[in-house]
Amino acid sequence: MDILWLCVFAVLLVGYFALEGPDIGAGMLLLFLGNTPRDRDEIVAAMAPFVLAGEVWLVAVAGVLFGAFPAAEGEVLFGLYPLVISLLVSWIVRDAGLWFRRRADGSAWREGWTAAVCAGSWGLALSWGMALVAMARGLDEPVIVLPGLAGGLVLAALLAFHGWTFLSWRLPGRMTGARRSGWALLASGAAAAAPAAVLLAAFAPWLLERTASAGALGVLSVIILPFAPVMVGAQVWTWRTFGPRRAADRVPSFF
Amino acid sequence: MDVLDLARTQFAVTGSLHFLFVVLTLGLAPLIAIMHTRYAVTGRPDHERATRFWGQLYVINYALGIFTGLVMEFQFGLNWSGLSHYAGDVFGAPLAIETLGAFFLESTFLGLWIFGWHRLPTWLHVGCIWVVALTAYASALWIMMANSFLQNPAGAVPRDGHLVLTDPGALLANPALTMALPHVLGAGLWAGGFVLMGASAYQLFRRTSEREFFTGSLRTGVVVALVGSLITVGFGYAQFGAISAFQPGKFDDGGAAGLGLGFMILIGQPLQLVILFVLTPLVYWLPRWRWVQPVLMAITPLPFAAAILGWLARENGRQPWMINGRLTVADAMSPGLTPAMVTGSFVAFTGVLLLLAIVDYVLIARTVRRGPAAVTLGEPAPADPHERAHALSH
Repeated sequence: MDILWLCVFAVLLVGYFALEGPDIGAGMLLLFLGNTPRDRDEIVAAMAPFVLAGEVWLVAVAGVLFGAFPAAEGEVLFGLYPLVISLLVSWIVRDAGLWFRRRADGSAWREGWTAAVCAGSWGLALSWGMALVAMARGLDEPVIVLPGLAGGLVLAALLAFHGWTFLSWRLPGRMTGARRSGWALLASGAAAAAPAAVLLAAFAPWLLERTASAGALGVLSVIILPFAPVMVGAQVWTWRTFGPRRAADRVPSFF
Repeated sequence: MDVLDLARTQFAVTGSLHFLFVVLTLGLAPLIAIMHTRYAVTGRPDHERATRFWGQLYVINYALGIFTGLVMEFQFGLNWSGLSHYAGDVFGAPLAIETLGAFFLESTFLGLWIFGWHRLPTWLHVGCIWVVALTAYASALWIMMANSFLQNPAGAVPRDGHLVLTDPGALLANPALTMALPHVLGAGLWAGGFVLMGASAYQLFRRTSEREFFTGSLRTGVVVALVGSLITVGFGYAQFGAISAFQPGKFDDGGAAGLGLGFMILIGQPLQLVILFVLTPLVYWLPRWRWVQPVLMAITPLPFAAAILGWLARENGRQPWMINGRLTVADAMSPGLTPAMVTGSFVAFTGVLLLLAIVDYVLIARTVRRGPAAVTLGEPAPADPHERAHALSH
């Protein structure tokens, strides 16, 4: 049972980087690839339908950490305290940019929130990279250090590449000038998720020492696993519905 | 303030902000689902406009529900790791189920609903908003179950210095949950009904060109508020018996819990009577009597204020316990939490969230003011290329 929940945790964490990674990456590139307001609207419209379905993977990661590995939850989040704050604030700023940028008129309003999307996405990527390095170094060490910043930049590069591939797949020949297949997107997703996956593999024994009781895991399994097909199905449906070969985007989109 | 006070205040501010937005989400979600279903059945444009207008209001409100909810979820690990350390085996289960079995689906299907206009087949699109409404209610169930465990730790026994889950059924049958859940869901309908009523009253008072639209929604709002207020007040009083069994004297000491409860009843009880004996009998005339509409606007925030007061009463009445009788709030605080850490997170979270909450309310007000003609949710793509170019230039 504890192996099953370790697998669920791994799927959710990898799923987060592979499926929310494109939104973070595209957000990072928003001000660099989008030269005109119209370009920026087009990039946002390309990523918008995936954001709600993507970010929820991290909410689920935290939920499983709490429910299935309660002794690890406090240790990890408290150990990474300043990075968790910057991650959350970046996430909220990015989301606020998306939800608010088209809710009022005026270019200052729109460009301000567009910049918030870009800054928040960078904050997310750097916070994640620094958090992964901090985990690897051990939670007793200080978390804001030079190697952490280097790790942040590496992960930012991987996520930006994933975002670039996503835009080349979603808007072929448009913003990036390139065309990429779904397979290329899968590969860049694997690259974006690789650091977290490697770290998780190293941490697997540590996590398994911190599982909830067999009774609690049993309750989680009985209640959650019947929903798993619906959860996966809804994700597949999202990616099929808003994939590149469907109807053209409405630009600007709701976001 | 010391570290403990700061951490508690941070939780109180973010939690209150969270519920301020979530209570409206809970109230509006089923209403939007019903509106969308009526549109799908009849195909009438007025039902489509109602779905999109109130749906946009719902979606804007939803944003802050997410932002504050993220902080709530992670705050447990940041400031209160003693809770997961001592009781994660029990308390973590409903939270994990909420994220996976409820919020995961709610968020995914909300994305499909927002961006699925003119793309998804009608009935699948309607199905999406029903999943959103059902999972919102499921979220309320799991979160209330977790909170009820803190009020009355049923179904768990201490073993080796930790609480271990022994009876999952007792979590569900917890008397702290059974009456409080309908109380909270009723408060959601009350708040949702009042927002329909207040927004419609504003438009009618301004002599809107959308008379028919807002006449209907004002009446709907009053009826929904009637249903919500009866549920809220009925299940509110019904809780006292249960509470006296596991938290005797909860409201006795004249502290924040007693004050919260007192002011909540001071708002809620007369307001329920006004809805029952004044607004409901006059519901046919309210859209026509312009003089009464400013009053309707003025009372719109009251169920929100009562909801926050109710939470303050419930949570403060648990002091000094985090888990009633088992773990104190002081012991639940993360060991090693420094004033610098908690001050930093307090400033960052409450600063950002308060600012965004204000922006969000301004945007909701703007949506109401501009009316159904200006709604962008589910707007059809401009067909004419010239019009499209014009739309893009904005």
